[in-house]
Amino acid sequence: MIWKRSFLLALLVITGLVIETSILGEATLVGAKPQVLLVITVALAMGEGPALGAGFGFTSGLASDLLTGLPVGLTAITYTIVGYAVGAIRAQVQTPTAWFPAAMEFAATFAGVLFYGAVSLLLGQEAAGGRSLILNAVFAACYSALLTPFIYPVVRGLGSRLRPARAMR
Amino acid sequence: MRIFDRTRRARLLVALLLSAAIVLVTIDFRTQGEGPLDAIGRGIMAVIGPLQEGVSRALRPVGDFLAGFTQVSSLKADVSRLQEENALLQQRERQVTDITRENEELRRLLHLEQSRGDLRFTTVRVTGVGPSNFEHTVFIDHGSAEGLAKDMPVIAGAGLVGRVVSVSPHSARVLLLVDPASAVAARIASNGETGLISGKGGAELQFDLFDTGAAVTMGDEVVTSGYEGGVYPAGIPIGTVVRLEAKGNSLSRRVWLRPYVDFTSLDHLLVVTGRGAKR
Repeated sequence: MIWKRSFLLALLVITGLVIETSILGEATLVGAKPQVLLVITVALAMGEGPALGAGFGFTSGLASDLLTGLPVGLTAITYTIVGYAVGAIRAQVQTPTAWFPAAMEFAATFAGVLFYGAVSLLLGQEAAGGRSLILNAVFAACYSALLTPFIYPVVRGLGSRLRPARAMR
Repeated sequence: MRIFDRTRRARLLVALLLSAAIVLVTIDFRTQGEGPLDAIGRGIMAVIGPLQEGVSRALRPVGDFLAGFTQVSSLKADVSRLQEENALLQQRERQVTDITRENEELRRLLHLEQSRGDLRFTTVRVTGVGPSNFEHTVFIDHGSAEGLAKDMPVIAGAGLVGRVVSVSPHSARVLLLVDPASAVAARIASNGETGLISGKGGAELQFDLFDTGAAVTMGDEVVTSGYEGGVYPAGIPIGTVVRLEAKGNSLSRRVWLRPYVDFTSLDHLLVVTGRGAKR
């Protein structure tokens, strides 16, 4: 089971990365690129809890880091924290509304881009957005919210298949 | 009790993952992108590259549609500008299909290749763009197996695009001119005044002229200066001067350029694989 789970999660990372860099790569929203892997991380964290959210966030963030010339580990840190926080917040909400996933995707992406940008600046990396970090974060967050209806149901469906079978009592 | 255990386990996992990530950041900073992490990155690129190429080819119409859909506002602005400038061009623009655009682009590349007999080129195709909002890169479908290497200049029909920064066997990553990490030695074509161009992430490029008293006017063409041992060959067009900053007390004079290349719609490119006459 653990192998099947790991294989499916790895496949999800590769699929997300390919979609993010090819088909959606040039489809920017007012200059903001789609954060497909972050959207998947948030969807998994909401369905499967903070541990899987953090674990998937770390893996997908690291894969993304290794494909760029930016400091390796920064996206991994960002997505790990986002995955854990979203899972923990979701656990506190008893009856989420239909808008809850999109709102969480928006908030998580906004916070994630801000966090990444702030840490990059602290490490001496010049922001490449060509505009303020906050604007970049807002448009990236809007993009994530728009992608939610397409990605969220697929990832939640896959997430339920990944759950270990529980013994009946 | 079980819930508390699960929470504690999750926190422990996060702490471990964050520690691992911090170690990775440290290793990356110490090795300056030349260590084992770079090798792993090239491995991932080798896996992702063919997939990107396949997906790009198969779903190109969908990608074009999505790209057009999300860029509606900028496309509208372009269309109105074209209407004012040239009604005939606008009419032709409407009729342009993806195939004729590609054909045109290839012709420009061929012309460039023929006009620069002092350089050897490899034609490549863009397969994807970098995933980060904090970096401007594209992936191309050729790598070290096809003779590409790090720091090779990349050119489009209109002008300079950037340079290769990472290579795997069958794909490579190109740092675009607009990225803040990019720097190019350049000169004004008309009078030879030299300076350094750097990207700022936006539509314009910053050009710092070494001579504070340099004569520069709007519309001046800027090309690569090229020097012995440098990355870029001389005379590659970069862009035109569109903004002049007031002369201050700084050690250089700053002007802004609009690049010839449209970095949002790159497709076929040329990589300069060597210098000297073709055999």
